[in-house]
Amino acid sequence: MARVILVFNKKVIKEYPFSKDSMTIGRDEANEIVIDNLAVSGHHARIDKTGDIYILTDLQSTNGTFANDKKITSYKLQHKDKITIGKHLLFFALSKQEQAKATDEELDKTMILDTAQQKELLEKQAEKKAKDVSAQQGKIGVVSFIDGSGEGEIQLKKKLTKIGKAETSEIRLGGLFMPPTAATISRRPNGYAITATTGKTKVKVNDKAIKESYYLKDFDTIEIGSYKFQFYSHDIEDEK
Amino acid sequence: MRIAAAGLSDTGLKRERNEDYLAMDNSAKLYIVADGMGGHLAGEVASKVAVQIIQKNVNDWINKNSPVTEIFDFPDMTLSQRGNYLSSSIKLANRVIYEMSQEYTEYKGMGTTIVILAIMPSTIIAANVGDSRIYLIRGDSMEPLSKEHSMVAEQLEMGLISEEEAKISPLRHILTRNLGSSDSVDADVFELEHVDNDRFLLCTDGLTDLVSDNEILNIIKNGNDPEHICQQLISEANKRGGNDNITVSLICVNKESDEKRGIIKKIHTFFKNKK
Repeated sequence: MARVILVFNKKVIKEYPFSKDSMTIGRDEANEIVIDNLAVSGHHARIDKTGDIYILTDLQSTNGTFANDKKITSYKLQHKDKITIGKHLLFFALSKQEQAKATDEELDKTMILDTAQQKELLEKQAEKKAKDVSAQQGKIGVVSFIDGSGEGEIQLKKKLTKIGKAETSEIRLGGLFMPPTAATISRRPNGYAITATTGKTKVKVNDKAIKESYYLKDFDTIEIGSYKFQFYSHDIEDEK
Repeated sequence: MRIAAAGLSDTGLKRERNEDYLAMDNSAKLYIVADGMGGHLAGEVASKVAVQIIQKNVNDWINKNSPVTEIFDFPDMTLSQRGNYLSSSIKLANRVIYEMSQEYTEYKGMGTTIVILAIMPSTIIAANVGDSRIYLIRGDSMEPLSKEHSMVAEQLEMGLISEEEAKISPLRHILTRNLGSSDSVDADVFELEHVDNDRFLLCTDGLTDLVSDNEILNIIKNGNDPEHICQQLISEANKRGGNDNITVSLICVNKESDEKRGIIKKIHTFFKNKK
């Protein structure tokens, strides 16, 4: 049979098997699931079973009932759904037979979240915190020639930007001693990093020669041969 | 450039079947790992099909030098030609697995993660979908070359939970992207220049769920050769429970310096001409 697992502060407090056709949740002792907490109303919510379907309903509680972080009035429960009442979490789990019927997977195996659910969940979570990570992800690195060594700025659009004399370089530099590739800048999960291609040309960042690779920070100055650049990242406009 | 590579795939201690799949194509210098999921035999099918489709198509496109506009789906302008081959082959594999899952009841819900490493004369390309990983070990440090497509990783990146909370979150095996769940998918692809003694580790979460990044790095630094390191990594995961299938592949890239090679060539030519 299905179960409701009550969790508080990441610890499982109790498991409630779904033996009847409905279960009520609240502070009042008459409920099947009693949560003794001020954020929980006397009669806070109920779960009803109709055939194979389980419906979670909020009983006009003061602080609301949330399913997967979305405030609900009435909601059809799926295997592994997370119900939030006050600060308590209740995980809803179907039995193996019920899961097989719904063709879902076991609790500890990998599951894919469909795009709509995932988007909703992430949007709700993003509202809760101040950090604006989407701005970070929408940034692009730029190098700008300084000290009169060249003109203008170049956007680092590619995952790998090659810098040197070669025609295929994204940033072409001239000069007698400039090799086909003097350095490369790669866009990695953790940011932009510059690698000195082994050879004679020294690559300096902030006046220090780099060994292998170095992660670039805003306003770092890069020196390759007689060329000098400054690196920074800025937001890209929404392209749709 | 010399490559020393090894890879191992282990069922672990708790699972009945191994739904991971590993392919090491030393001639194409293409290394692929997949972690399949789905009821009955679907997981094994998904991971194997994905790897085989990718391997076949990337090799075909390389041999034909296919333009990126003619392979599969739209090209990604931030990537090189080879990078697009990897990205498109992943999209193609996704489409095939998705259609299989829609077409046959025994394949319903099947899917797989994927990680690919391609090595070229001066660069490498890393591509992934899902929560299997690629790491670069350079000098004394290890950094990811894959983005984790899981709920928990995205929460972590948004600063909503801490690392400790992430480790025990009940949502930690929920993926936000995989191959097979929808008709299209975007892979994360990274390209970079390799340097002497770079090591690349491809692995499924059967390893990283049980062994921390630092512990993995130590095993790699103290290991004798890629084969030995792979055995150590699997053994460590099994010592800690072996809850899931574990697959690891370690590839080491060594470059002879161009100067050295140049001089050797000159001496060689000199003696050849003397004959």
